[in-house]
Amino acid sequence: MNIILVCSAGMSTSMLVAKMKKAADNRGVTATIEAVSESALKRKLENLHVVLIGPQVRYLEKKIKSQLEPKGIKVAVIDQMAYGMVQGEKVLDQALGLYKEI
Amino acid sequence: MNHPLMQRFIEVAGRIGAQRHLVAIRDGFVAIMPLVIIGSLGILINNFPPFGSFDLPGILNGIFGEGNWQKVGGSIWNGTFAVLGLLIAFSIAYNLAKSYEIDGLSSGLITAAAYIMLVPETPDWGLSFAWLGAQGLFVAIILALVLTELFRYLLQSRLTIKMPEGVPDGVSRSFTALIPASIILILVGLFQALMSYFAEISIFEWIFNIIQEPLQGLGNTLPAAMVVSFLNHLLWFFGLHGTNIIGSVIEPVYLPLIEKNLSLYQNGVSAFDVPNIVTKPFLDSFVFMGGSGTTIALLIAIFFVIRQEKNHPYREVAKLSTPAGLFNINEPVIFGLPIVLNPIMMLPFILIPVILTVTSYVALATGIVPKTVAILPWTTPPILSGYLVTGGSWRGIALQIFNLTLAIILYIPFVVAGVRALKQRMEAR
Repeated sequence: MNIILVCSAGMSTSMLVAKMKKAADNRGVTATIEAVSESALKRKLENLHVVLIGPQVRYLEKKIKSQLEPKGIKVAVIDQMAYGMVQGEKVLDQALGLYKEI
Repeated sequence: MNHPLMQRFIEVAGRIGAQRHLVAIRDGFVAIMPLVIIGSLGILINNFPPFGSFDLPGILNGIFGEGNWQKVGGSIWNGTFAVLGLLIAFSIAYNLAKSYEIDGLSSGLITAAAYIMLVPETPDWGLSFAWLGAQGLFVAIILALVLTELFRYLLQSRLTIKMPEGVPDGVSRSFTALIPASIILILVGLFQALMSYFAEISIFEWIFNIIQEPLQGLGNTLPAAMVVSFLNHLLWFFGLHGTNIIGSVIEPVYLPLIEKNLSLYQNGVSAFDVPNIVTKPFLDSFVFMGGSGTTIALLIAIFFVIRQEKNHPYREVAKLSTPAGLFNINEPVIFGLPIVLNPIMMLPFILIPVILTVTSYVALATGIVPKTVAILPWTTPPILSGYLVTGGSWRGIALQIFNLTLAIILYIPFVVAGVRALKQRMEAR
């Protein structure tokens, strides 16, 4: 499955991506995970399954949802605590949960 | 997070933060940041302060011949700061067109051409650098927004040449833009003719006089700096990217102020004597240390208060946040502690930066510390940033240490209160 994290510049989110990749490896989950800015998201929609939004840009949720959900892509805001504590496991769980709903 | 008033606030801030034209302005500025930073470093290299007998520019001039080394930084300046307005005109038009999913390159080029059409000429048929740079910033923004909207309208209006299929994409695109571009440039030309006939003043001078100069004057005052700092942190307290949301409004005001300092510094004026106190580097280096909220001071305060318990949740967050925090990235502490919507942290998180804005303003205004004469990547660690941003002065570092100490002292009681509240909550469970 393909997961994209959206934030403003990709600075702190890239830390989270690294942790998520590690968590996925440990569990044997095959997933591509990357962090992009909102404007770059449009070019990445091919074969995309889950979009997670950084809490600091949660105001984009409505906009992104309206664009992506019709395409069958799941969208959610990352749990704020998990984001802050850089809990890769927990955020991966969130993504997997969304993926199951597809 | 579920109070209706809070939801409303987040929605309104979100709508501002996601407004298409403001986003285009913000991203336009973001796109030229690498050029701006290298331009500013060029000047710093040219004017690097001597350490005792080690005088870098002096040595290099000895090798290359007097003044030749300065040509390196000088020509970087010409290509970056001296044409800032032109770069921004292209960059904003490009971003706005992209957001409409129309041809960004054409839109950027048309706007750049129109910008050159309107720039005042020098008597010997040259372009006036004065107006290609930061003084032309507002014209650049207005042109980019208006012309791109016009371009979009003309593209939709079927006044375009459609090439038969099979023609290479690049060719057919330039033909599609042909008629809209002609119409736009003829209109700009007519406008220029009318301006010089009726107003006898260029649009650049006019806009500068009525918009840019008053705004910059206002932006350079202490109250305005306090408002900027306050708003930024209020937004962050609600978990919203403050710097991002107000960026499109403050960049056009603050960039010319630092540009003025830079160009004077380049010409040999000392960092003490340049005119502008409040600039973006001023806030980045002296107030947003460790990120918004001067959170590097909060981390130190946490390590100071919680020395015994190794696995205290606060300490865990602080440990996790420190590596990124040294580079002024602080989402971990903002969302992890959390600071967001935490009633105990609201007061220090919003007020400490405002207080530091005041102490820094006073230190610079009274001439104790030199003013800012460099733009650094905002990820430059404190101490290093204080030195570089003041053109290489230990006084810049001293101010940062003073501000950090003050912030740590102010954060400590709130950390103590937070620890106590956490303990009570744990015991209640």
